[in-house]
Amino acid sequence: MRPVVVAGVGMIPFERRDEDSLVDMLAMASWNAIEDANLGDRSVDAVYVGNMASGLFNHQESVASALVDRLSLMPAAAERIENGPASGGSAVKNGFLGVASGYYDIVLVVGGEKMREVIGPKATDVVACMTHPEAEYIYGVTLPALAGMFARLYMDKYNITQEHLAMVAIKNQENGLLNPYAHIQMKITMEGILTHPQAHINSPIVADPLRLYDCCPVSDGAAAVLLTTEEIAQKLKKPLVKIAGVGQATDTHTLQERSDPTDLKAVRIASQQAFKMAGLKPKDIHVAELHDAFTILEIAESEHAGFFPMGKGAKALADGETRIGGKLPINPSGGLKARGHPVGATGVAQIVELVWQLRGEAGERQVKDASNGFSVNFGGFGNNVLAFVLRREA
Amino acid sequence: MDMDIEIYLRPPEMETPPYPPKVITLATGKPMVVRQVDRDAVPILLNAVKPTLDIERDYYDIVGARVYAELLGWYRYRVRDEFCLIGQIDGLLVGIVNTRSYSPTVDVSLHTLAIERGLRIGAHLFAAKMEYSIEYLGRDEVLITAESPIGFRRWMIEYGLEKRDGQHELGGATPYALTRALYFRNKDRLVAGERPVPPELMEVAEREIIVASEDDILEKILGAKRRVTQ
Amino acid sequence: MSTITAFKCNACGHVMYPHHYRCLNCNGREFKKIKPTTKGRLLTFTIVDQLPWGIDERGRVLGVVEFDNGVKALGVIKTANPRIGMRLRAGWKPVRIIGGDKVYGLTFHKTK
Repeated sequence: MRPVVVAGVGMIPFERRDEDSLVDMLAMASWNAIEDANLGDRSVDAVYVGNMASGLFNHQESVASALVDRLSLMPAAAERIENGPASGGSAVKNGFLGVASGYYDIVLVVGGEKMREVIGPKATDVVACMTHPEAEYIYGVTLPALAGMFARLYMDKYNITQEHLAMVAIKNQENGLLNPYAHIQMKITMEGILTHPQAHINSPIVADPLRLYDCCPVSDGAAAVLLTTEEIAQKLKKPLVKIAGVGQATDTHTLQERSDPTDLKAVRIASQQAFKMAGLKPKDIHVAELHDAFTILEIAESEHAGFFPMGKGAKALADGETRIGGKLPINPSGGLKARGHPVGATGVAQIVELVWQLRGEAGERQVKDASNGFSVNFGGFGNNVLAFVLRREA
Repeated sequence: MDMDIEIYLRPPEMETPPYPPKVITLATGKPMVVRQVDRDAVPILLNAVKPTLDIERDYYDIVGARVYAELLGWYRYRVRDEFCLIGQIDGLLVGIVNTRSYSPTVDVSLHTLAIERGLRIGAHLFAAKMEYSIEYLGRDEVLITAESPIGFRRWMIEYGLEKRDGQHELGGATPYALTRALYFRNKDRLVAGERPVPPELMEVAEREIIVASEDDILEKILGAKRRVTQ
Repeated sequence: MSTITAFKCNACGHVMYPHHYRCLNCNGREFKKIKPTTKGRLLTFTIVDQLPWGIDERGRVLGVVEFDNGVKALGVIKTANPRIGMRLRAGWKPVRIIGGDKVYGLTFHKTK
């Protein structure tokens, strides 16, 4: 397999974007990545679009074909890749394979979602369509409900408190203030969301024990990366940030059939695969973008990916190790909690952030001397997970 | 003004106890003072409402237009038994709610206009005016309607309001009722606030109702148009 | 009483719900259809206040129960004060309306 360089990155601010259609957003992010790569007149061989539910949210299908037309990239190959909230990660993986295999030289990968075209409870229902139709969906299971059931067991098992969860939200929203692309631009305090006697009114229950500030917002947005060979990247005069490792693993569809419901097996396997391929270990990573759709997941993924021993992730968080400036900054972008979570966009946005970090282009949220980065994109409720290791070589 | 004629034009007024001000700690940790205002505040409030008249998003335009008329009508003594509560953060006006007392037993909720978004300010102020109607004015129920889906979710669904026959005075829409029972069932979960307001906070709030500039109000409601050069 | 259909592997006895084409334990292809026992133990639960479109019951409690014969399933928990480990008895009631029709599913109640 050939090395694959992320030669261009771009995104648009994640927020409520009533004026932009889904294809508009995909095109804007794509164009930002193409320009960032200095592509000039070179043609794109293939376009992969990560998107979960353009049909249900926006009544539109075949958006990859529509995007190629909008960007005038014909006759590039194009496909939409769907993997729930890991659609972005899966699109990156497929783009990676296209270049690594030697089949394509220049691939555009863009993830996007326009969720706010439908009202809140409908968006919740669309996302819930990922659950098992007979064993879960009919009961009104939502992704927050699955996260709530998982959180209850995980918090009991490892003595994680509501304070720990709130620390994730506070840290990530502080990071979001440093990220001009982040949806949520608001500092919150422990008193305001948890410890004040009336904080439960500011942060009501979504799916107990998870509260409002434990859950990411519903966002619109898109992010894109331009993947190519080392040779072409050098001609484009772009830093050589490579996708050094890719991992993916699946687990049972329903939460109840996981052999141990607190074991995020797919996160562990995908992470191990990515590290093995990259020839690196968790301790070699300088910055990580994890999938904190729910605050509990940032803590759980930091352990399952191997950054902290099982049960020690909350302490690392409380000790400040995962802040920007700490031993292992996690989610300097603000994560899903503050950057936002247009579901199909997230996996690609995580790569965009890592590339900015590894190039030294992350502005006020820059992690010093970062040359190795890691991301986890969590599909379904942990039943289809991707992990990436990125490394800057020049 | 010829008061001999005004007597015929002004609707009669009920005597009501005032709303005791309270302070709510928001998710940002900052305190919001919730207090009742009198007619003399209306000209200032209208400055905050005016920019919303052009905002289609989330039905701000119709809410703004109607609130403008309600506040101006109250100011000019042409609306019967209206009250108005406002929310302020460091003196800055962040929300306005108003209600009309139809009778000693029934209040009619009019509007909730949130100028600062993302902090449940509308929800807090709506809860405050319900608190006033039920706990301080002693009403049996408050009739409510919603012009926007956000209002419908926050009130009809979150409180579990009872649908009523008849027409709400806001355009004849379907009325929903918050009864005393429903209010007290939901109070712990939805009604925040501590009393009394610390004197230094009250002094800032009463000194001046600061209204943000039109551009700032548009940005708060619509979100900043961010230009990113990264 | 109607209930779910679970599957017991003929080769290794592993119990599965919902259906899989191969045994999750031994990849076996043949199963016996079984019903869950009437009672089981609550493994985890959540109280859902933000419900999806189409469900009106704020505060619905959802939980996973492990039946005495090893079947594990999600259902609506209908007892006040749920606690992990508590014994519950299964019911079969309408849990949602989809396309205008009542859809039946597992409900869990206090054991008598």
